[in-house]
Amino acid sequence: MSSNLPVLLFLVPFVMGVSMPLLTTKRRSWCPNITLGTFGVMLLLSIANLRVVLADGPIEYAFGGWAAPIGIAWLNDSLAAIVVLIISLVAVITQVYGRIDIAKDLQKSIPYYTLILIMVSGLVGIIFAADLFNVFVFLEVVALTGYALVGAAGGKSLVYAFRYLLLGSFGASLYLLGLGHLYVATGTLNMADLAVRIPELMTSTAVAGGLIYIFLGLSIKMALIPLHSWLPDAYASAPSSITPLLASTVTKVSLFAWIRIEYSLVAPGVEVSHVPVLVLLEEIGVIAALIGGALALIQTNLKRMFAYGGISHIGLILIGVSLGNTTGLAGGMFYLINDAVMQASLFMIAGALVYYHGAHTLEDLRGVGRQSPWLTGALIVAAVAMVGLPPTGGFFGKWNIILGALEAQHYFAAFAVLASTLLTLAYFLKIFSCWFHHPQHAPSDPLKVSNALRFSLGAISISMIALGLMSDTIFQFLIESITNGGV
Amino acid sequence: MFELLETLIQRPNFVVFVILFLWGIYIMAAHPNLVKKLIGLYIVQTSVIFFLVAFSAKDGATVPIIQAGAALVDSMLYANPLPHALTVTAIVVQIATLGVSLALVSAIYRKFGSLDEDEILEQLK
Repeated sequence: MSSNLPVLLFLVPFVMGVSMPLLTTKRRSWCPNITLGTFGVMLLLSIANLRVVLADGPIEYAFGGWAAPIGIAWLNDSLAAIVVLIISLVAVITQVYGRIDIAKDLQKSIPYYTLILIMVSGLVGIIFAADLFNVFVFLEVVALTGYALVGAAGGKSLVYAFRYLLLGSFGASLYLLGLGHLYVATGTLNMADLAVRIPELMTSTAVAGGLIYIFLGLSIKMALIPLHSWLPDAYASAPSSITPLLASTVTKVSLFAWIRIEYSLVAPGVEVSHVPVLVLLEEIGVIAALIGGALALIQTNLKRMFAYGGISHIGLILIGVSLGNTTGLAGGMFYLINDAVMQASLFMIAGALVYYHGAHTLEDLRGVGRQSPWLTGALIVAAVAMVGLPPTGGFFGKWNIILGALEAQHYFAAFAVLASTLLTLAYFLKIFSCWFHHPQHAPSDPLKVSNALRFSLGAISISMIALGLMSDTIFQFLIESITNGGV
Repeated sequence: MFELLETLIQRPNFVVFVILFLWGIYIMAAHPNLVKKLIGLYIVQTSVIFFLVAFSAKDGATVPIIQAGAALVDSMLYANPLPHALTVTAIVVQIATLGVSLALVSAIYRKFGSLDEDEILEQLK
C-alpha cells in the first residue's frame, strides 16, 4: 500500500477529474465540493507519502514490475514528496478561495473542475517522473489544461490563452527535439541511466544540442526571461479563481523538472567548448532575476506586477540551483517551495481586491487598507516573505542562495540576489504607499469578507511563516537527499 | 564547404527536418492569421516527429517481435520500438493540442469577429 502512494496521488485527481461529468450531471452544485474533497484526500496522501519516504528513503516505483531502464520508473524521494505536499496544500487553499471568487458561468461548469483536477494530476506526474519522455507527456497534460483554464474567463483571455498555447506548444516541440537528440546519443531516456552515460559524451554536439533544446523548451514553460512574454497577460486575464493555482504551480513545476535534469546530467564544472555550463545558467538566472524585478517595478496593474515578481523569482531559483554546491541547491529548492506558496497568496490577494473593491491598478488601491484588515494582514505577510525577511521561509531560501554563491565565490550572483531583493522591496513600497494612502472618499466601515476568504488568506499566511520556522528541518533533509545522490 | 555539402547530401532526412522546422517557425511568426499560425505550429510539431522517425529508420529491419526458439538475437534485424512508441505518443499530444487550439480559435472568432491578429489586438486596446 505505502509503496503505491505516488501512483495513488496521481490517480486520485485523475480519476475524479474524468468521472466528474458522471458524478455531477444531475447535481451541478457538487462540483466544487468534490474538487475540494479530492484535494483534501491528496493532502492526506502526500503527508503519508512524506512520512514513508522520510522513514524508508527514496523509493523507485517501477510500472508493471519492469525495472528501469527498460521499464518506466517514477522516483519518489523526499524532494518530490515535499513538493507534492506543498502543491496539494496550495490546491486545497486556492480551491477554498476559488469557491467565493468565481465567475457565475464557471461556478457550475463541469469542464472547469475536470480541467483543474487533471492539471493537478499532471503536476504530480511531472514531479515523480524519472524518465524524460514521461516528463514531456505530463508537461503537455499540464500545459493543455492550463491553456483551457486561462481561456476560461472569455473575452481578452482567449487571445492571451492562444498566445500561451503557441509558445507553450513550441516549447514542448523543442523539448521533444532535445529528448530525441539525447536518445540518439545515449540510447536511453531514464534520468538515472542518462546520468551514468552522459559525462563521457559531454563533448558530443548531439548531447550539448539536446540539452540546449531541452533547456529552451522548459524555459518557455517556466517563463524564464526573455521567454516570459506569455505569462503576465495570461495570468492577468485568467479567471481569478484559478490564477493562484496556475501561478504557484505551473512555472515552478516546470523549473523543478529542469532542476532534476540539470542535477543528474550536468555535473559541476562541466564545460562545453570552453563554456562552463552551470555558470552560463547562473548568469541567465541573474539576468532574469534583475530584469524581472525591474519590470515588476514599472507595472501599474497589480496582477501584472505580481506576475513579473514571480518571473524574477524563477531567476533567483535558477541562480541557486546552478551554483554547483549543496547549499545553493538546497537554498534554491527551498525557495521554489516557498515561491509556490507566496505566488498563491499574492494572486489570492489580487483576486480578492478585484472582487471586493474592484481594484485592478495601484491607483484603485487608495484607502483599501482601512477597509480590509484581513487583506492588509495577508499582504504584509506576503510582502515580508517576498522581500525575504525572517521569520518567513523566503528569508531562509535567499540566505542559503547567497551563502551558496559566496561559497562558490560567485560574488556577482550574490549581489544579484541582493539587488533583486531591493527591487522587490521597491515595488512593495509602491503598493503600500497606495494601500495606506488617505482614501478619496470618507472611510467606510471595514468590509465584511466571507469566512472562506479569511480561512484561505489565514492558512496561506500561516504556511509561509511555518515554512520559515521549520526551515531547519526542511534544509536538513533537502541536503541529505542531495548528498545521497538523488534530486 | 565541400565537406559540409557532402554531409548534407548524405543525410537528406535531416535536411528535410531542418527545412520543415524552420518553415514552421517562419509561418508561426510571420502570418497574422491565427489559423495559419496553427498550421505553422503543426508543421513544427510534425517535423520533430519526422526527426524521431528518421533517426530510428533501419534498412531491412523487421517488427521487433522475437520468434520463439530464436537462440541469438541480432539487433540489426529488428527495428528499435522505442522511437516509434515516442512517435505515437507525440502524435496523440499533437492532436490534443490541435483540438484545444481550434476550440480557442473558434471562441476568438465568435468573440472578436476576426481571425486577423492585428485586428484583434486593435480591439483589445
